[in-house]
Amino acid sequence: MGHLLQYILNGLARGSIYSLIALGLVVIYRGTGHLNFAQGEMALFATFGAWWINDHGFPLWISILLAALGAFVGGGLIEYSLIRPAAKKSPFAVVVITIGLFQAFNSLSGLLFKGAATGLPFGTLFPDAPSDFFRLPGGVIWRYENIGVLVTVVIITVLLFVLFQKTKIGLAMRMVANNADSAKLAGVPTNKVLMLSWALSAAIGTIGGCLVAGINANVSLGTMFGVFLLASAAATLGGLDSPIGAVVGGLSLGVVESLVTNYPNDWWGSTYIGADTAIAVAFVIILVVLLVKPSGLFGSTRVERV
Amino acid sequence: MTMPIKIRESSPLHWALRVVGVSALAAIAVYFASNAAPSTLGKITEACTLAIAAVSLNLLLGFNGQISLGHSTFAGLAAFTAGYSVNAWHWNPWVSLGVACVLCFALGLLLGLPALRLKGPYLALVTLAVAFVWPTVARKFLQQTVKASTLKGMRLRPPTWTGLANNRVDRALFLFWLSLVLLVITYAIVRNLRKSRIGRSLVAVRDNETAAAVMGVNLPFTKTVTFGISAALAGVAGWLAAAQLATLDENSFSILTSIKYLLALFLGGAATLAGPVVGAFTYFFADDLLKTNAPKWDFLPGPLSKGPVASFLLGVLVIVFVFIAPLGLVGFVKAQGRKLAVVVPPPLRPAPKASDPTAHASPAPAGEVE
Repeated sequence: MGHLLQYILNGLARGSIYSLIALGLVVIYRGTGHLNFAQGEMALFATFGAWWINDHGFPLWISILLAALGAFVGGGLIEYSLIRPAAKKSPFAVVVITIGLFQAFNSLSGLLFKGAATGLPFGTLFPDAPSDFFRLPGGVIWRYENIGVLVTVVIITVLLFVLFQKTKIGLAMRMVANNADSAKLAGVPTNKVLMLSWALSAAIGTIGGCLVAGINANVSLGTMFGVFLLASAAATLGGLDSPIGAVVGGLSLGVVESLVTNYPNDWWGSTYIGADTAIAVAFVIILVVLLVKPSGLFGSTRVERV
Repeated sequence: MTMPIKIRESSPLHWALRVVGVSALAAIAVYFASNAAPSTLGKITEACTLAIAAVSLNLLLGFNGQISLGHSTFAGLAAFTAGYSVNAWHWNPWVSLGVACVLCFALGLLLGLPALRLKGPYLALVTLAVAFVWPTVARKFLQQTVKASTLKGMRLRPPTWTGLANNRVDRALFLFWLSLVLLVITYAIVRNLRKSRIGRSLVAVRDNETAAAVMGVNLPFTKTVTFGISAALAGVAGWLAAAQLATLDENSFSILTSIKYLLALFLGGAATLAGPVVGAFTYFFADDLLKTNAPKWDFLPGPLSKGPVASFLLGVLVIVFVFIAPLGLVGFVKAQGRKLAVVVPPPLRPAPKASDPTAHASPAPAGEVE
């Protein structure tokens, strides 16, 4: 039992990061119905930005905030200059643009930051010395770093929910998500809402990227790829248009990943199952869930009128 | 504005244009075969392989509206099947092509089943998952069955009737022709499917599933079998890759390969017949030009590392391209060409007299009814 709790606690930290990136995906999907393939790489670029600011002598938390601010502006600009005009041209255009952005941001990171391919050291916001943990009953340890990541994600999630549910902007965002045309007719500035969605999503992604880099103590060109895959899986599992789904999906995927990686090793000895096998198992679970509920656990099913 | 020239479909002029076009393409192929260096031929072979994969993806995505990010997996499965059966069991490579296609068809059918229930981004994600799982499967296979980190590709010998020797130059020439022939066959299969009743039902399903079902299209059958055929054709691309590559490893057919197929398709123009072929050649040679030339650019400022320049520019080019030609190169050329010349269908046959309301007033001259 002790092991189970231990693995769940470890999984929650990574899972909360998946939730964060998944939330970013959901925010964009709700507004425009687009899947942003560049979400992970945009976050990666901003994380390198945070590293660069930090490298110039600023404290880490200020660097991360500045990077998130930059990503907020950048995300809005991308929506305004690329996504919006492309969406008018053809349904495939946005997919191609986000794939192009994926490639451009990844290689731009390699271009601007020397040593990005092999990895740059990245600090963490939370105490991470080997002795920094709570001792729970049954020999379970809960590292301060894992707690810190989880708490950060919870705070951001709560802030997002307040934004969605309690503010006028949030109301407008929900209206656009529900029916963009009606929202426009009712006087909601849909374009501004969509721009804000991209801006928010980019900023959320940046924080997610910095948390991943903090846990790994390192950021490299490949850091966000696997995280993005799992986050998009989490968003799909929860339902692409449901923020609650993204959070639940992310946390459960993190836990499943941790359990599937660790238990077989306990039972059959080490290295039987690698990390990517765990991801494979996670994807099979998602496939099964989607077969039963095609729009995810919490996604809204749209009834089509013929 | 001048009126475009009208060309009757299947008129002698139309046929003449078709013959000129096809013979021009054939002449270019013969020119390259007799003049180009083996390395250039190798590149064209690679581009043809990419084109086959893009054509297969076009059948599924362009004509049937089902997105797949898992086509790299089909190619990978076919390549590994070919590589392993030829090396370990000494199969005839041509037999392995057939077996690989059948395996891919079966896997495609299997993946087509969940696709029946999933739409748009959800389907994209599930196929993405398949593409992501493949390297793991491939690595386990390499570790446990091959007991090495790579699998040897099949070294295809030119058959004796071609008169080609089994050396590097002749093998390159043979692969060049082989890839062209396979590309033409794949293209012909997709073209004929598209022009037939089946093709029209595919497009009907893409445009409106409910309406298609009402018209009598069997939705589950059409969608799963399309997935299967598309997968089998992607298998041809994988088999061809196994014929070219010296070694195959777990990363030979990663998710990035799928993205490459997708970009090639969109660059050329999805849902057009020539689009994926044009797109694949454009993508491959743009990528190749940038990769060979970018490291030589000395005008780049010092701190920039030159390695990723090519891939960055390719990403930017893709984005710029979407704005110039949102419907792909072929869509763009078609739109421009329409201003110069249009192909119009042959004149309608005159309607039977009974249904002609003007027939009572003045009898129309009898038309030829064939």
